[in-house]
Amino acid sequence: MNAYNKLVKDLAPKKFNKWSILWVLLLVAVIIAGIIAYIDQLIKGQVVTNMRDYALWGIYISNFVFFVATSFVGSVTVAILRLTNNEWRTPMVRIAEIISVASIIMAGITIMIDMARPDRLLNLFIHARLQSPITWDVIIIPTYIVISLLLLYFPLLPDFAILKKYYTKTSPKLSKWYGKLALNWTGSKVQKTIQTKSIKIIALMIIPVGLLLQTIDAWLFSTTYRIGWDSNNFAPYFISGAFVAGVGALVTVIYIVRKVNKLEKYITDFHFDRLGKFLALACLTYLFFNINEYLIPAFTAKKGEAVHLETLFTGIYATLFWIVTIGGLVLPTIALLFKKGRKPLPLFIIGVIVVVGSWWKRYIIVTPTLLHPFLPIDGVPESWHHYFPSLHEWIITFSTLAMAFLIITLLVRYLPVIPIQRTADEQKISESEKKTES
Amino acid sequence: MSKLIKNIKQLELRIFYLMILSIILCTLSIQDVNAQDVKKNRVRLKADYVKIMDGDSYFDISASAKIEKKNVPVSTIEVIIYHELNDDQIELGTVTTDSNGECRFIIKNFYNLKTDTTNTYNFLISFKGNDAFKKVSKSIEFKDASIAAEMITKDSINYISATLRETSTDSLLVDQSLNVQVQRLFKSLRIGKEFNNTDENGTIIVPIEEGIPGIDGNLIIEVVLNDSDEYGTVKSLVKVPIGVPIVDESTFDQRTMWSTRSKTPIFILVFTNLLIVGIWGIIIYLISNLFKIVKLKS
Repeated sequence: MNAYNKLVKDLAPKKFNKWSILWVLLLVAVIIAGIIAYIDQLIKGQVVTNMRDYALWGIYISNFVFFVATSFVGSVTVAILRLTNNEWRTPMVRIAEIISVASIIMAGITIMIDMARPDRLLNLFIHARLQSPITWDVIIIPTYIVISLLLLYFPLLPDFAILKKYYTKTSPKLSKWYGKLALNWTGSKVQKTIQTKSIKIIALMIIPVGLLLQTIDAWLFSTTYRIGWDSNNFAPYFISGAFVAGVGALVTVIYIVRKVNKLEKYITDFHFDRLGKFLALACLTYLFFNINEYLIPAFTAKKGEAVHLETLFTGIYATLFWIVTIGGLVLPTIALLFKKGRKPLPLFIIGVIVVVGSWWKRYIIVTPTLLHPFLPIDGVPESWHHYFPSLHEWIITFSTLAMAFLIITLLVRYLPVIPIQRTADEQKISESEKKTES
Repeated sequence: MSKLIKNIKQLELRIFYLMILSIILCTLSIQDVNAQDVKKNRVRLKADYVKIMDGDSYFDISASAKIEKKNVPVSTIEVIIYHELNDDQIELGTVTTDSNGECRFIIKNFYNLKTDTTNTYNFLISFKGNDAFKKVSKSIEFKDASIAAEMITKDSINYISATLRETSTDSLLVDQSLNVQVQRLFKSLRIGKEFNNTDENGTIIVPIEEGIPGIDGNLIIEVVLNDSDEYGTVKSLVKVPIGVPIVDESTFDQRTMWSTRSKTPIFILVFTNLLIVGIWGIIIYLISNLFKIVKLKS
């Protein structure tokens, strides 16, 4: 077997083993439970949630913000690393693109789950007020979904053509599908020129669009005159937070895919070391904005804000706040500063901690603020002053996370997670005239 | 024989028990019958006569009742208003109380009504009663008074001058307390001294403070004889253009970030649409590139 054939064999999608099948079945079971809970929510209304007049945004919105943040990985890793000519990006860009697609699709679905009347979805477009960040969000999310799909698809064209050929004998059906997806790719000079140009445009476009997406997400909060959200710092705070969540998710998924698909030869310790440094940069940036977000108000806070900060620092949310801040941000940052902390397994553990921390961080951003309105509502039941998600909310939320995992799993199953053509070009084991873009 | 006597005694005892039982049962049934007689409550009617100069004259009527030691308003009861002259009663109309137990009856053609020999108007306000409340009526008597008010300016100071008269005799009313106030949105704002008693000419003169804001600079000044036992409430309104004009700060008709969708600021419309068209234009171009790649098979 020559080097090229070995490369294709190594990087071609692998069939599910029994553990993968079990994993998919588990995800499907969670998704079915979520669908049942959601149907019940549709029938009975949002009374099945614990959202009331105070906590009118709950776990669904914090989960939505988490998905939006994670989808930023497409902008930061693929586009920025590409534009800065970081060659080490090759084995990880596709996984980043896959995470980005899965996250932004689930962000769109999650926000619909939060709507009490999803049948009125069209009204968001028909009666849109262009002044409202919610309208901007309604516009930017489908836009980002399309751009993320294009960013995933264009670099896949040569790989689809390779896979079409690779599966001709072993799996003609799969080969036929890859052939259709390859769009008659022959690798001709003109085709390569169009593809290269298109990828450059997408890479350039996805950065401002990604920044817009995170900014709009932040403005959804900061344009609402609420304690804890009324901050000029919110957009960069969200962008840096998305940077952390996205790279954290990338590190985690890459480790698992590398292990399951046995890609140690292609995704090496060097790549993890670089990713670790990248994650450290993200964490340090986010840490800076966190200090800005909490320390300055701690000095200047008026009464309402002081009560809110007290709830976070020493009150009911203190345990969660400090675990998320120290455990989910400060300690990972310190660990990432050491070379040993950037080895695959430690980095994977740090990635998991950072992602879980990022999820709870969104919960801390959303919920405590809602429980401290400037104008408290008179005569509401005492229970409305507190919020913890109901069973329906938990099941549906876990279901959305399972859906995101399922999208990633299926894409990893059927797509080459490491660009085959570009790797071949880099290793100079093909006779391509020009490097293929990815 | 003794057995017979014993049987008779037992029979008497049974009849006695039966009688006792009958009495108890009868008493209970009588109580039941009485329980169905619901005790009716008494409505308390209150009526204030108000006359607006060059405007309506009306009665502000309120109905309340003491139920379970609490004063509660009596709503949706019909009150009939009669004009009484000598022994005649002329029905002027009816009015129904609202949820606060209040209603207003405007007296139409007030000057067609006649007074008695003492120049007093006599009215009767009556409620005929219903299942819950007893019938009740209340008499109201008053003489007609009028206030002639105007603004005068002396040494660059504006004053309100008002003269109070009894209409039927055209006599000046001396030493009566009049209130001078400016109409505001929720409650009138008093100006001048707390008590302004009419002098021997039946007149008061009250300076108007400067700097009171009014829509388009107009102030409506009220001179009020308030709740007089003899004349009721008489109110004269004078519109004077001496206020500080209120500048309308509402942005309702402007294009703002908080307006409706039809009043979106132009810069938002332009900037957002440019972004949408720009980004989606590129996306369409990219999708068209995919078609180009398909066609470049050869």
